[in-house]
Amino acid sequence: MGPLAVELFGKKFKNPVMNASGTLGYAVEIEPLWGVETMGACVTKGLSALAHHGNPVPRVWEERHGMINSIGLQNVGVERFFSDHFPFFVEKNTPIIVNFFGFSEDEYLSCAEKIRPHELIAALEMNLSCPNIKKGGISFGKEASTVYSMVRSVKGITDIPLIAKLTPEVKNLTEIAIAAYEAGADGLTLINTLPAAAVDVKKRNVPLKGGLSGPILRPVALRAVHECSKAVPIPIIGVGGIMDAQDALAFFMAGASAVQVGTATFVDPFAIPKIIAGMEAWLVSAGLDSIRAITGVTHE
Amino acid sequence: MDDIPGRIIENINVAPGYFRLVIRLERPLGKASPGQFVMLKIPGEEVFLRRPFSIFGSRGKTLVVMYRVAGKGTGCLSQALKKSPVMVLGPLGRGFTIKKRDAYLVVAGGIGFAGTRMLLEKLGEKATLFFGVGAKEELSVAEDLSGICVHVSTLDGSRGFRGDVVSLLGQHLDACRQKDMEVFACGPAGMVKSLRALLESGHIPCQVSVEERMACGMGLCFGCVVATNDEINPFKRVCKEGPVFSIWDLSL
Repeated sequence: MGPLAVELFGKKFKNPVMNASGTLGYAVEIEPLWGVETMGACVTKGLSALAHHGNPVPRVWEERHGMINSIGLQNVGVERFFSDHFPFFVEKNTPIIVNFFGFSEDEYLSCAEKIRPHELIAALEMNLSCPNIKKGGISFGKEASTVYSMVRSVKGITDIPLIAKLTPEVKNLTEIAIAAYEAGADGLTLINTLPAAAVDVKKRNVPLKGGLSGPILRPVALRAVHECSKAVPIPIIGVGGIMDAQDALAFFMAGASAVQVGTATFVDPFAIPKIIAGMEAWLVSAGLDSIRAITGVTHE
Repeated sequence: MDDIPGRIIENINVAPGYFRLVIRLERPLGKASPGQFVMLKIPGEEVFLRRPFSIFGSRGKTLVVMYRVAGKGTGCLSQALKKSPVMVLGPLGRGFTIKKRDAYLVVAGGIGFAGTRMLLEKLGEKATLFFGVGAKEELSVAEDLSGICVHVSTLDGSRGFRGDVVSLLGQHLDACRQKDMEVFACGPAGMVKSLRALLESGHIPCQVSVEERMACGMGLCFGCVVATNDEINPFKRVCKEGPVFSIWDLSL
């Protein structure tokens, strides 16, 4: 094991770099360029109890230094994921983190219930940014009390480590992070995309509202990681606008124990392997034998 | 599929709004089939995401792209100087499937011609091209089509048939009805719609190359979907399952 090896949720990972959910398809798509086993773990596309068709186009919109997406969580459903796509990860012997979502508590639970423990399933990542249909479409992740009860419910039905992925669009993110921790979350992923809108000046309309991602988001994500990692003792996976190894290192220094790379892959499809190689080279040149040496180094 | 560094060796204005871009790659692009495309990193910092372009021509380490200035990405590209560095990801997507037929009718609307250029090269004399543009100046994007029968339409009537290219095709379709034929098309959404209306009665096979805003170009983000008649999984990725689809599978 090299200097990037980490232990999280009681499991060993060869490096702490993953893709962000929904930015690597079902992972087989990247195979012509590089192997998914390059990453410490692969995060699945967001899965739900039943398949979702997703939103009409336009689903993506470019911004300066970022993009807005409104894919609408298109996915084949958790059962078809395990019959059709999971065998690929077994063949590649690559650990996965299963991202999942729902539009009601029941949907979250019935999805999580269908995911049986497996040596390659390192954790579940619960997307709490979805609108809660029963509460008028307000995101599950907005209220500390809702986050607490949702995490607690899912923890009650699964033996797989549970990561809560939180939205940054809240009054007090630290309070939400503490609620997730107190409910039994084994880790946090910070942050999901920020709600945003695009305006088409030529057509004088709003072509889409969706989630903002890319380097424009990075300082927001760094602040979230920095503050929450001081508030809770569980590992934090940092995500938001990481484009290169320096960006990734900043997240570790802010307090992250692992990172996810998303939008960067669209700009440079080799971003993830380059970040892994760049981080390793940086550690060697800094004379450090483990990434743990810089984790949270910015905390007073 | 490969991501290849290259440099611009030519970027010239061939018709109003149309540019011909020639890139010298560090290594050859993999074998491309007609209808496939590349994702191009536009030089400079202004354009964040890559942009998809049909492969106009590819030989050895030379790649040719024909584009029309339509927005920020192509606007910046049109300003790029010779020797500017680019990255070329490709070849991407699923192109046209060529079955043995008596006749091939190729329909191109405006810059849609770029998506049919390699197909025409492959089909040669068996192809008849129906090429529709706004005005005759745009016709210079379709030079050197030796041996191919070409019918032209212009919206302003400055050359050939006055009107749109689907109406032009309609005038010639009856002569071909008895033959085992197939239509290949690339052009704006409105053209695809009226093409389907024209072909509906005859159940004529037709493959169409579809355009959509893309982020990744290789099936990672599910950003560039098109609605199809598949009830289980209606939204197909233009970059992965396409860009070429049977027009009868599309939900227009």
